[in-house]
Amino acid sequence: MPPRIRLRPRALHLRVSAPHSPLTHTYASLATATTPAPAIHTSPESVSIRRYPPTQPPSHKPPETRKSQLHRQYQSLLRSSPLILLFQHNNILAVEWMSLRRELAAALQKVDAELAGSQEPIADEIKLQVIQTGIFASALDIVEYYDPVKPTLEGEDMVHGLSSRAYEIAQKRKRKLKSGLEPLLSGPLAVVAFPTVSPQHLKAVLSTISPSKEFPAPKRKANPEYHSLEVQGGLAKLMLLGARVEGKVFDYEGTKWIGGIEGGLGGLRAQLVAMLQGVGASLTGALEGASRSLYMTVESRRMDMEEKEKG
Amino acid sequence: MITRFLTDVRVKFNPFNRTSKSARLFLSLLPPNARADGMKIESQMLPRVSKEPATLGVKFKDGKEMSLELDKMRITEVIEQVDRHSRGLARKEELSGN
Repeated sequence: MPPRIRLRPRALHLRVSAPHSPLTHTYASLATATTPAPAIHTSPESVSIRRYPPTQPPSHKPPETRKSQLHRQYQSLLRSSPLILLFQHNNILAVEWMSLRRELAAALQKVDAELAGSQEPIADEIKLQVIQTGIFASALDIVEYYDPVKPTLEGEDMVHGLSSRAYEIAQKRKRKLKSGLEPLLSGPLAVVAFPTVSPQHLKAVLSTISPSKEFPAPKRKANPEYHSLEVQGGLAKLMLLGARVEGKVFDYEGTKWIGGIEGGLGGLRAQLVAMLQGVGASLTGALEGASRSLYMTVESRRMDMEEKEKG
Repeated sequence: MITRFLTDVRVKFNPFNRTSKSARLFLSLLPPNARADGMKIESQMLPRVSKEPATLGVKFKDGKEMSLELDKMRITEVIEQVDRHSRGLARKEELSGN
């Protein structure tokens, strides 16, 4: 259908950047007009006519399907969350899901209240989300192995995550590298994604959802609702498989170690600074230790001799 | 998979090992009300570096214990083994007239 806006043919005249070649002016007609697109990537020789609307670039699979949109959501999740926990869920009932999420939200709000002021509140952004494993695996491949390079002459839109180019580059058959996460990605999975790596929040999540000796669950008196049938049933059906932290893969023990970092990232940095300072001090001490002991020996000998002279 | 004759399920696996897929799938095949109906389900996760094979230990209502090494078995084979005994128990139950 022709556009409803009355476009005079002169108004669609595309301007070429180099004015010294008037022969290359092209006239866009009403039949091919969508929106008057700015002429990007124009060279003096040719002007590329965009064959698709700028907001709907071509995609490897049909973009309107739920599958493609989930793929985009998972790509965004993987890129924006430096810390992701992976769980397997085994036939958890809806009531159990509801109770688990409620307990998780309550525990995270408590951590936020404790940290109020020193850290941004992120409790609202941490959720326990069930994912479609196959689509998640594909999105992970694209996020890890596809780097959108500078746009080519075809246009910027050929480099987005759903494009055929992304698919070809990230294909498992053609690449040798493997992410450590692949063996985990089978079966029914659920994900908890954190917008920042915060060991305090991680501790709250672990003690709520996968309690262990290091991260004990709340006691019955402190949180009686936690020990209701639904929550306990749901907990038994959730298994923590591993975590992806800033691109690296950790197993159960590794995740517990991250959760055990005292004082959060700020505390870790303080420890690092203290350690580096200590290294400097001990190094100077070791270097001057030899000469210092020699000085001490000579001094004590000198004082002995002085005493002997006096006495 | 017939699960109503199982009383105890113990699974040990290393999630980073590709061979533990059968173990994880077996756990996902247990019905949601199994724990409420009295089945004891225990899963232990081995650390990433462990080379131990994945194992499954199952106890049936008639007292029989079956222990399978899931390293070389696909999930269909595991189900076949467990179901074989379960079907025997089902037949016995039918014959005895409940």
